[in-house]
Amino acid sequence: MSPIITPEWVLKVDGLGKVFGPFTDESIAKTGSDRGTSKDPSTGSIVAAWDVSFEVAAGEALGVVGESGSGKSTVMRCIAGDQSTSVGSVHLRSIDGGNTNILNMSASARRQLRIDQIAVVYQDPAEGLDLRVTAGGNIAAPLTAAGLRNFGAIRHRASELLSRTEVPLNRMDDVVRSFSGGMRQRVQLAKALANRPPIVLLDEPTTGLDASVAAGVLDLIRGLLEEFGLAAVVVSHDFSVIEMLTTRCIVMNHGRVVESALTDQLLEDPHHPYSQKLVSAARS
Amino acid sequence: MTKKFDPTMVLDVRKLYKEFVLHTVDGRTVEALNGISLTVSAGEHVALAGTSGAGKSSLLKSIYRTYKPSSGEVWFQLLDGTFVDLVGLTDAELATLRGTQIGYVSQFLRAAPRRSTLDIVAKSGMQRGMDISTAREAAAVALKKLNLDEALWDVSASVLSGGEKQRINLAAGTISPPRLLLLDEPVSALDPSNREAALELIDTLTHQGVAVLAVFHDIEAMERLATRVVVLQHGVVSYEGKPQQTLAKLAGVAR
Repeated sequence: MSPIITPEWVLKVDGLGKVFGPFTDESIAKTGSDRGTSKDPSTGSIVAAWDVSFEVAAGEALGVVGESGSGKSTVMRCIAGDQSTSVGSVHLRSIDGGNTNILNMSASARRQLRIDQIAVVYQDPAEGLDLRVTAGGNIAAPLTAAGLRNFGAIRHRASELLSRTEVPLNRMDDVVRSFSGGMRQRVQLAKALANRPPIVLLDEPTTGLDASVAAGVLDLIRGLLEEFGLAAVVVSHDFSVIEMLTTRCIVMNHGRVVESALTDQLLEDPHHPYSQKLVSAARS
Repeated sequence: MTKKFDPTMVLDVRKLYKEFVLHTVDGRTVEALNGISLTVSAGEHVALAGTSGAGKSSLLKSIYRTYKPSSGEVWFQLLDGTFVDLVGLTDAELATLRGTQIGYVSQFLRAAPRRSTLDIVAKSGMQRGMDISTAREAAAVALKKLNLDEALWDVSASVLSGGEKQRINLAAGTISPPRLLLLDEPVSALDPSNREAALELIDTLTHQGVAVLAVFHDIEAMERLATRVVVLQHGVVSYEGKPQQTLAKLAGVAR
């Protein structure tokens, strides 16, 4: 046993794999970073992610980096339950002390996890929010799903959350469609935190926002992660986001993890050829 | 384990090599460290000297593991007296040690932008197990010691001058004395009076028993703080000894 006591994991992903289409051992052997493709030449199946493993502790943020198509969002969607998973296991400390593979749970039980265990913040707010509904209404949804029934209590909690994510309260009853991109992300964050989940998955949370707006949202995310001691997985192709939010990272290429490292080490001393290419492109 | 360790040692580096393989430049290799061995004990301040490119910063980064060593061992004595090889630790284990027992202060501030000065320093204290109010108090004390104007404490660090940033960096790195403090030109942008306060702080930490391994480009700082000087050349230890003689020899070679 190591003499250094590290914080216990709250999210553990082990050997996760997702293949679109039928696959055999050969599909796996013929794809990946070394092969330069995620498409099995004989069956046409796409090995979107394979053999992905990591652990995240409370108060810790793990980065998942890679170009688009590398499989990083697939991993996130498999954990979130937005997508079925082909192989592997996902464990949450809060569910059965971490002994249950949540991938084996029923679809409705998986959806329950999204109410108060795993929150997801998407790049496109339209995925995480109903744009036709007011900001307050969007946040009320997870609160009622968690059993809160009193209208006054729901409104009070919603306004608390919106003020924490710096959404002006006089906009609470406006439909989200009328909001700017940065403001929509703030509503998404408020909704994600509604039931104080221990885990949050962030998929390119600031991509597509103006630089100054992105900076504000990033500051907010960093503050929230610290304040709530969340275990976070941050998927991003943007190294400035990764550097600011995470302490450890994995790098994905053609569906495989090609390197895992401390974030500062990845930025200053990347080892895998793909990581070196990625870092030098970002830094020049 | 049959390895022998001197219990007074905090850091025991053995035959450390670091080679960069540049896949983006046809796999060219660059050697930074060529088998460095050195020790630092508690309360000792070891200054690294040598020309630029000799491997001084690379050594600090390889110990802190911002660089991943190619081979060799970096033994570090934990608070409970056990020795661990930093090279072989998991990323999570290393992250834990960095937050608590190993401090690294470079010449550049690497904190999140748009975060207030006091916040950055207090956060570092909280990482070392202080609660928020204790951390804020300790941060205030640390910043005061380094003469950082109180008017700047709630200002975002990104708008400050290089010298002000360096002092924030030092305050964050020393708020709660680590066991091992790695310093890479921590006072390079400071004017004489602030530099004096910073050197004083580092000296105090050494006397409190912190093991310090430092790179300063000015001889004066080394003469004042170091208990031993180690001269590097081409990624290996060239010679070492008491500050005065070693620095005199270094000056002689330079001439």
